[in-house]
Amino acid sequence: MYYFPAKKFKKNSKPIVFIHGTGMDHSVWTLPVRYFLRKKRDVLSIDLPGHGKSKGKLIASISKFSDHVFKLLDNNSIKKCSIVGHSMGSLIALEMASAQPHRVKSMSLIGTAFPMQVNDQLLEFAKSDVQKAIDILTFMGYSNQARIGRNKNPGMWMTESTRRLMQQSKKGVIYNDLLACSNFKGGLEKAKKVTAKVQLILGSNDFLTPTRKATDLIDSFDNPDVKEIVNSGHTLMVEDPNKVLDYLIEAL
Amino acid sequence: MKKPKDLKPSTLSLHAGQRPDSDFGARATPIYQSSSFVFPDTETAAGIFNVERAGHVYSRITNPTNAVLEERISALEGGIGAITTASGQAALVLAITTILEKGSHLIASKSLYGGSHNLLEYTLPRFGIDTTFVDLRKTNDIKKNIKKNTKLIFGETLGNPGLDVLNIPKVSKIAHDNNIPLLVDSTFTTPYLMQPFSLGADLIFHSATKFLSGHGVVIGGLLVDGGKFDWGSSTKFKTLTEPYKGFHDMNFVNEYGPAAYINRARKEGARDFGACMSPHTAFLVLQGIETLNLRMERHIQNTRSIVDFLNSHQSVKSVCYPELESHPDHKLAKDILPKGCGAVFTFQLEGNKETGKKFIEQLNLFSHLANVGDAKSLVIHPASTTHHRMSNDALKKAGITESTIRLSVGIEDCDDLIEDLDEALTYSTRK
Repeated sequence: MYYFPAKKFKKNSKPIVFIHGTGMDHSVWTLPVRYFLRKKRDVLSIDLPGHGKSKGKLIASISKFSDHVFKLLDNNSIKKCSIVGHSMGSLIALEMASAQPHRVKSMSLIGTAFPMQVNDQLLEFAKSDVQKAIDILTFMGYSNQARIGRNKNPGMWMTESTRRLMQQSKKGVIYNDLLACSNFKGGLEKAKKVTAKVQLILGSNDFLTPTRKATDLIDSFDNPDVKEIVNSGHTLMVEDPNKVLDYLIEAL
Repeated sequence: MKKPKDLKPSTLSLHAGQRPDSDFGARATPIYQSSSFVFPDTETAAGIFNVERAGHVYSRITNPTNAVLEERISALEGGIGAITTASGQAALVLAITTILEKGSHLIASKSLYGGSHNLLEYTLPRFGIDTTFVDLRKTNDIKKNIKKNTKLIFGETLGNPGLDVLNIPKVSKIAHDNNIPLLVDSTFTTPYLMQPFSLGADLIFHSATKFLSGHGVVIGGLLVDGGKFDWGSSTKFKTLTEPYKGFHDMNFVNEYGPAAYINRARKEGARDFGACMSPHTAFLVLQGIETLNLRMERHIQNTRSIVDFLNSHQSVKSVCYPELESHPDHKLAKDILPKGCGAVFTFQLEGNKETGKKFIEQLNLFSHLANVGDAKSLVIHPASTTHHRMSNDALKKAGITESTIRLSVGIEDCDDLIEDLDEALTYSTRK
C-alpha cells in the first residue's frame, strides 16, 4: 500500500495516519501533512488499496480496509498511532480504534456520521453512470457558499478540483467506497469500545454527513471533543484548511 | 435525489470566486492594492511559506483580488485553477516553461498571433526550446513531427488571422496518444463560445487584454489548468514528477495530484519570472467578465451582419470567416463553435497595398490599432504590423497577403459600423 512520504520509521515511532474518503487519495492531506512533517512528526498519508498509487483489489468493507491499514503498520513495526480520517476514512479510523484500541492513541474524524447510509439511487449511479455519481458527490460535497468559490487556497476552483480527483480514480472505486460506507454496521457499539482521545470536526453546512447525523455517534464516545466549522460543507480540508489544521494541532 | 444544479456561465461570470467582503460587506471585489500581507505571528508565517496553510504572502505570487479572477476564469472554463499574469505573452511563457526546458521540443500551429510566433521562432530557441510549426489541420504532419522530447502541442482555438478552427478533439487525441498535453490560446473564443477542456485540451491561456476585459484598458493574461492530464504517466515531465530543489524537494505530482501543473507554475514560474498582474488590472478584467456573455452575444451579432455585408460587396475579393461555407473549417466550426466564430476576421480588398492603406485611413469609427476584442471596433493591416516580422513564406502559410485587412468588430450600433465600412470601401476603391 502506498503512503506519503515514503520513508522507513524508527522503532517506537507513533506516527499520524491520514486516511482519505471516497474516491480520493493521499493528496487531500497535503497541507496538514506538510505541517506535521515540519514539526518532525512521523506521518503516513495512505492511498487505500485500489486508490491513487496503491495497487490491490477493491474491498467494499470498512473492516477489511482497516485490516489493510493495520497490516501496513505491522510491516513498519508501528505499534501505536494517531489516526485522522475523512468521511469514509473516518469510519476506517473508528473501526481501527475499536478493533485494536490499544494501538490508537487519538483519532480525529472529519466530516463523519453514523450510519453513513448512501442513497440507493446514488449507489446505482456509481455503478452504472459514474460521472453522474461524481457530479452528485461534488455538488453535495460542498456548502452552498463554497460552490460560489472564494477558496482560501488562492486561485484554485474547489468543486472542479474535487471532481477531477474523483474522475482520476480507477474503475469501480466510487461504487466500492460508497458501498463500504453503506455496509458499515455497529458504529455506535464500536464507538463505545474506543479508548483513544476522540475529536470530531464537522461542517455546519455538510449535506453528505449532516451534523445532526453525527449526534448518536458523538453520544457514544467517551468525552469527545466536537468542533464545528461554521458554513463549511463536507469537504472541510478544502473549504477551511486553516481551521482544520488548527483543530488537528490541538488534537495531535 | 435532487439533481445537482451547477451555476450557469452567466451567473459564474458575476459571482465565481467572490463573496461579499467580510470586513465591510463590499459587493464589488475589493482591490487589494497591497504588495504583501501581514502575518498574525511567526508560526503562521512559517506555515504559509511552507504551504501547509492557505494564505497570501506577496502579490507577485498571489493576491486576493487576483485570486477572485483566477477562480472565475477556472469556473468559466471548467478548470481546476488558474494564474493571472502580466500579459497573454507572459501566460504563454509560463505555460511553456513550467514543463519544458533546454532540449525540449514543442509543436505549434503555423497560424499563430505574431507575438507568439516570435517567442517560439526566435526567442525560446536561445534557451534551448525548439518549435516545429505545422498546419494542425494536417494530422499526419503532427504525428510525423512528434519527437522523443516533444512535450507540448500548441494552437489557437481560432488561428490568427486566418481563423483556422483548431480541431481540438482530433489534435488532443494525437497528443494524448503520445503522452503530450495540448495547450490552446482561447483568446478569440473566450469561454462564452467554446470550453476547450470539454473538447480535450489540457491547458488554456488567454490574453485577458482582449474580450475578457473587453474595453481595451488593460494588459493581462491568464493560464488555466484543466487538471485532466496525467503528468505521472511517463517520465517526460520531470519538473512535476521529480523532487524540485527550489521548493524543498517538493514532488508536485505526489503532493498535488491533478493540480501538480498549476502548483508548479505558481511556485516556480510566478515566483521566479515575476510577470504578475496588478490587482487593479485583475479588478478591471473582473469587471469585463461580468458582462462577457452580453458583450459576446452582441460582438457575434454585429460580426455576422458585417461579414454578410462585406461578402456581398463588389470591392471585396473574399471574406475569411468560418461561418461562411467558403472557409475550409466551416463544417468543423458548426460542430464546435455553434454560438459563433468570434468577432475578429479578415477580408481581402480588391486592389493592392495602396487600396488597403486608403481604406484603413478613411475609416472613422473603426480605430486603427494593434489590438482586438475591444468593445469598440478596430482595424489593422497584419502584413505591415502584427505579423510584419514573419518571413514571406511564413506569411503565405498563415494566409496573409498584402491586401489582407483584419477587423475586430465591436458592440456599436451595427448600422453605423456598416456605413463606416461602406464609405471607406467606396473611397478606397474609387478609380
